[in-house]
Amino acid sequence: MVAATSRNVAVVGSAQTQLKAAWSDRQHVDLISEAVARALLGTGLRIEDVDFVIDSGSDFLDGRSISNCGFLGAMGAHHKEESRVEEDGLWSALYGATKIASGSASVGLIVAYSKSSESDPNDYWTSLAEPFTQRPVGLDQNAVAGLFAQRYLTRFGVPASALRAVTHRAWAAADGNTFVDATLEMLQDEYWSQEIASPLRRSDMARPVDGAVAVLLASKDVARQIGGSPVWVTGMGSAIDQHFIAARDGATLPAAAAAASAAYRMAGASGASDFDIVEVSAGSTAGELMVLEALGMAEPGKAIDLYADGASPGLNPSGGALPADVVMASGLVRLHEVAAQLGGRSDHAPQGARRGLAHASGGLGMQNHCVITLETS
Amino acid sequence: MTNNATSTRETMGSMTSRLSMPYTLTAGKAMGTFLAELGAQRIIGSRCAACATVRVPAQDFCGDCGAETGELVAVPSTGELTGWTVTERGILAFVLLDGTDVPLLHRIVDTDVSSLVLGARVSARWAAEPAGNVMDITGFAIDAESTVGALAPTNELLAPIEQLAYRMELTYEHSYGHFYGSLFDSVKNDRRIRGIRCPSCRNVLLPPRGFCDVCFVPTKDWIDIPDTGTVQACSVVHIEFVGQRMTPPYVYAEIVLDGTATRLIHSVGGLSAEEARSGIVKPGSRVKAVWSDRATGSLADIEYFQVIDGSA
Repeated sequence: MVAATSRNVAVVGSAQTQLKAAWSDRQHVDLISEAVARALLGTGLRIEDVDFVIDSGSDFLDGRSISNCGFLGAMGAHHKEESRVEEDGLWSALYGATKIASGSASVGLIVAYSKSSESDPNDYWTSLAEPFTQRPVGLDQNAVAGLFAQRYLTRFGVPASALRAVTHRAWAAADGNTFVDATLEMLQDEYWSQEIASPLRRSDMARPVDGAVAVLLASKDVARQIGGSPVWVTGMGSAIDQHFIAARDGATLPAAAAAASAAYRMAGASGASDFDIVEVSAGSTAGELMVLEALGMAEPGKAIDLYADGASPGLNPSGGALPADVVMASGLVRLHEVAAQLGGRSDHAPQGARRGLAHASGGLGMQNHCVITLETS
Repeated sequence: MTNNATSTRETMGSMTSRLSMPYTLTAGKAMGTFLAELGAQRIIGSRCAACATVRVPAQDFCGDCGAETGELVAVPSTGELTGWTVTERGILAFVLLDGTDVPLLHRIVDTDVSSLVLGARVSARWAAEPAGNVMDITGFAIDAESTVGALAPTNELLAPIEQLAYRMELTYEHSYGHFYGSLFDSVKNDRRIRGIRCPSCRNVLLPPRGFCDVCFVPTKDWIDIPDTGTVQACSVVHIEFVGQRMTPPYVYAEIVLDGTATRLIHSVGGLSAEEARSGIVKPGSRVKAVWSDRATGSLADIEYFQVIDGSA
C-alpha cells in the first residue's frame, strides 16, 4: 500500500498569485487563470496534457452555488474531468495524487482560491457551525480560537505574551516573501492590542487574504520526461476531529497528529525531524503551536521554543498562514511553497533542504487536518 | 494581462449582492428533545453506555465512540466554568454542568469579566418567554452559592421540536475586474458593447475575459460589437416569477451578436401577447437591442431585443 504512491507522483510545477488583503480589481477567474498559466510554465506541459482538474473553493465565499462551474475556463478544465473539493486545496492534492498513483491518469492540475474580501469571512466560518446550539450563541472562528487558546495556555503554563514571537516571526518571513503583501510595518500598535477573542488579539489571528494557487502533479514517467529534479510525493494523511467544539480537547490536535502519523508511516519517516522544511496552516498563533506539537516537532506546550531567534530555519519559510490566510487555499499554498523551495524555484528556501512537509487545516476551529510530505532526489 | 483598453474609463468596480436563504432545519430526536425541554427550564443530556459519558446537549450518537446513546438524562442547570473568551459578540464559555463529562458551549451573562475564573460555579439564566431554541437559556452567570446538582432520570419528556425556521443572510461585494468593468463602463456611458478576441481560435467573446475558456490562452484585442444579432434558440415564457422584469408572455432567447462566438441570454420584446405566442421569434430571427433609459452599467440597460428584417 505504501509503495503504491511513494515516489510514483511528483509535483512538477506550481504557482500562486500574490496574496493580499483585497484583489478588488480582479475577479476569481483572473486570479485562477494567472496561477494556472504560471504553474504550467517551464514544465513543457500544455493545458492539453492535463488529464483532470480538481479544485477547492467555497460556494459560501464565492457567493454562488456550485461556483466551480463558472470558473472552468479559467482553470483550463474545458471538456476535462473536473471535480470540486469543498475543503482546503491540500485535500484536492491528496485526491489528485491518489488518482495518478492508481494509474488512471498521468497529469493532474490542482487549483485552490478564494476572495474572502468580497464578503465577511466570519459569516463563512459561522456557516460551518452546527445551527441548533453552536451558531445561535455567537460562535465564530475567532471565538473557537480564543476558547482553545485559553485551554492551551492554561494547561501548559504558557503566557499569552509569548505568542508575540509567533506573530513576529511569521510576519518577518512574509515580509521577505514577494508573493505575500504583508510587511512588518503593517503590525502597528493597534494590531498588537486590539482584543478579538481573549486571550487572542488581532495580531494572533490569521489574516484573511485573496489569492489563488495551482499545483501540477504528474506520474513518475511524465516527471522523468520533464527532467530537472522532480519533487516526489512520499506520504499523505488526513484526519478529522468531532464537530462539537466543546467535546474536543482544545489544547491538543489529535486529528493533526493522526494525519501526520499516517503521512510519516507512508513516507517511511521516523517523525517531524526528518523534514528540512515544514509549512503549516493555522488559524491563530496558539493554533500554530498546537499544530507543530501534533506534528511531533515539540513536546506538548513546548512549541514556543521553536520560535527562539535563529531556531528552526525550516519552519514556515514563507511566513505560513498567519500573515496571509487564503481560506480554502492556504494548505495548497503550503504545498506549492514546499515544492518550490525543494525544487530550487524559491528565493526563501533553507540551504540544502531535501525533504519537506505541507500541512492544511480546515473546518471550524481547525477540525480537519491534512499532511503531505515531499522529497527531492 | 495583454489588452488595449487603457483608455477606458473604469468607473464600474463592483456590484453588491445579497443572498437570503430560508431553511427548515430538522433537529432530530435528541436535539429536538433538548430544545423542547429548554422551554420547561430543563436541560436534557444523553448518556453513552459504551464509553460511560454524559454529554449535553443530548445527542443521538456519541461523538467519541459513535455508539447510539439511548438514555436521556435530566442535567442540573448548575456547573463550573471550564473556559471562556471575550469577543465583540459577547462572552462565550465552556460550562461543565454537574454530572456531565463534556462541557456545554454557551454565553456568560450578568457577570463582570473580571470576576471570571476557571472552576467558578455558574448557573443558568432563563429567558422570560421561551422561544423553543437554545437561547431559552440566555446564558450562565457566576453563582458561588450554587450547590452541586445531580443527574436525574427523565420522566415524561416533551415531544421533540421537529423543525426550526432558519434564514441565512449573506452580503457580497463582487469585483467586476478589468474585463467586466470595461464592458459595463462602456455600456453605461457610451451604449457600446465590447468583446475580446482570442488570438488562438479568433473567436470574439462576450462578456470579455482574460483567458479564452476553450483554448486557455490570454485574450488580446478588444472588439466593438454591434447591438444586432441572430436568435439561436428561444422559448416563450408564460409563467410569472419573482424578479421578472417583463410581463408574460415574452420571449427568452439565446442571441449571437454579430461577430461574436458567444451566446447572450436576453429577451425579445416589443411583441403583443399574440405575437409572442405566434412563433414570430424563431431560430434565425434577426434582432436589435432596444436600449432603456436606465444607465446602470449592466446588460439590463438593454430593455429587450426586437425583431428586425432580414431573418434567415
